[in-house]
Amino acid sequence: MEKNHITELLPDYLDSLLTETQNQEVESHLADCNSCSIELKELESIIEVIKNESRIVPSESLRSNFYKQLELEKQNSSKTIALDTAYKQKKHSWTNNLLKIAASVILLVGVYFFGKQQQVERSNEEIAKLTDQSQAFKQTAVLSLMGNQSASKRIQGVTFIEEFAEPDEAIVSALKDRMLHDENTNVRRTAVEVLSTFITSETVKNSFINALKTEKDPGIQITIIQILGKIQEKKAAASMQYLLEQEDTQPYVKDELESVLPNII
Amino acid sequence: MKTIKVTFLALLVCSMLSAQEDYTKSLEGIEWIKIESKADIIVRTHSEKQLRIKAKSSSKTPQKAKGLKLVGSGGSDNTDVGFYVVKEGNTLIVRNLRKWNNGDGEIYLPANQNISVTTNGTSQSDIRIYGFKGEIEANARLNGGIKIENVSGPVTANSLNGNIDISFADVNQGSPITVYSTNGALDIRLPEDTPTNLSIGSTNGEIYTNFELTFPEKNGLKSVSSQRVKQNLNGGGVQLQLKTTNGNIYLRKQE
Repeated sequence: MEKNHITELLPDYLDSLLTETQNQEVESHLADCNSCSIELKELESIIEVIKNESRIVPSESLRSNFYKQLELEKQNSSKTIALDTAYKQKKHSWTNNLLKIAASVILLVGVYFFGKQQQVERSNEEIAKLTDQSQAFKQTAVLSLMGNQSASKRIQGVTFIEEFAEPDEAIVSALKDRMLHDENTNVRRTAVEVLSTFITSETVKNSFINALKTEKDPGIQITIIQILGKIQEKKAAASMQYLLEQEDTQPYVKDELESVLPNII
Repeated sequence: MKTIKVTFLALLVCSMLSAQEDYTKSLEGIEWIKIESKADIIVRTHSEKQLRIKAKSSSKTPQKAKGLKLVGSGGSDNTDVGFYVVKEGNTLIVRNLRKWNNGDGEIYLPANQNISVTTNGTSQSDIRIYGFKGEIEANARLNGGIKIENVSGPVTANSLNGNIDISFADVNQGSPITVYSTNGALDIRLPEDTPTNLSIGSTNGEIYTNFELTFPEKNGLKSVSSQRVKQNLNGGGVQLQLKTTNGNIYLRKQE
C-alpha cells in the first residue's frame, strides 16, 4: 500500500467526489504516507490560491468616468451643432474636429493608464503572494536540510537562515535545537554563529545561556562567552560562574570567562 | 614420524593464516559508514564494492585469549579482526574494539562511499583518509589529529587538540566544507582555481596563506587576524569555513 501512492485520487478527494471505500483508502494511506500528505497540503494551498483569485473587472469609477466623459462629449458636440451657423461651421469646423479628436485621444490614453495602473497594483499583489510562497518554500527546504543525515547538508541548512531577514519561530527553534543537540561539533558551532545574528531576541539569548551549561566543546564555549560578553548580558553571569567552577572546564576557557565576567556583573 | 611433524606444522601455518583473514561485508543498501575507534584508523579506497577490514598480525588475539571473545564498550568482536560491525538502517557502524597501540585499523571502501570517522582516544588516535569522492566527516574528539588527502569533499572535520591537514584534489560544489579545531592547527591545500566563498578566522591563532586575501582595514591598520574574514575566491562558489580557537591556520595553493 505504501508504495501505491494515491496522488491521482487527491483532487477528487478534496472535492468529496470519491466513493466511501475510496475515501477510506485515501485516508488510511495519508495516515502513514508522508509524501502523499505533503502532496495533499500543496494541493489544498493551490486550491486556496485559486479560490482567492478574483476576476479582473474594470472598477465602478472607471465605468462612471467613462460615461461622464462620453456625456460631456455628447453635450459639447450637440451644443456645437446647435450654435453653428454655416459661416461659423466653415470657419471653425476643423478646430472643433481637432478638439474632438484630442478629447477622444485623451480619453483613450486616460483609460489606458488607468487600466495599466490597476494592472500594476494587481501584479504587485501577485508578486507579494509569490514572495510569500517562496519564503514558505525556502523555510521548508531549510527545515528539511537541517534534518539531513549529512553534517555538511545540516550546515548548509543552518547557514541558509542568514538570508532570512526575519526568520519565524519554527526556524529559530530548529536552529536552537541544532545548537543544543546536534551530534556534530561543526553543526553546533555554525548554529551558534548564525543564531548570534539574531541576538536581540530574548529566546536566542536564553538558549545561549542554556548552551553554556550543556556544551562540552571548548571552542564553542569560547564563542558563546564572547557573544554574550559583547552584549554584556547580565542574565548570563550565573551560567558563566557555573562553567568557571566546573573542574573539567579547560584553563583557556576559564581565562576567557575571567576576562568577560567582571564586565557584565 | 617426520611426515606427521610436517603435516602438523602445515596445519598450524594454515590455522594461523586463516586467523588473519580480512573481514569483508557487502554494502548493499548502505549510504553511510560510521567508523569509531580509540586507536589510529586509516581509511583507503579500493575497487571492490564491499567493506574490507584488514587483519593485522599485530592485532592477533593473544595466546591467553584462545577460545575467548574480545569485548568492548561498544559490542563484541563479530568480525575476528577486532571490530564490531552492525547495520542500522542505511548506516553501517564499524567499531574498533581495541584501544592499545597495536589496535590501529585499516579499512578499505569504494571511493564514492560517504564516511564518518570518529576517534575518541587519549593517545594515538589519528584519523587518516585517502582518496574519497563521497562525503567525509572526521571528528577527533580528544588528542588525535586528522589527515585527509586527495579528496573532493564535502568535508566536515573537527578536532580538539590534534592538527588537521587536508589536501583537496578538487572541490565538490554541492554543500559546505567546514574545518574547525579548538587547539590544533589547520593546514589546508586547495587547487588554485577553486571557486569558493571563504570564511576564515581564529580567536588566538594566526592565519597564513598564499591566496590573495584582503583583510578589512580599521583606521588604516591591518586588522587582527582574530577577525572573521569572508571572501570570494575565483568568483565565489561553495562555502569553505576554516576556524580555530587557539591554533594557526595555513591555507595553501595546491602545487
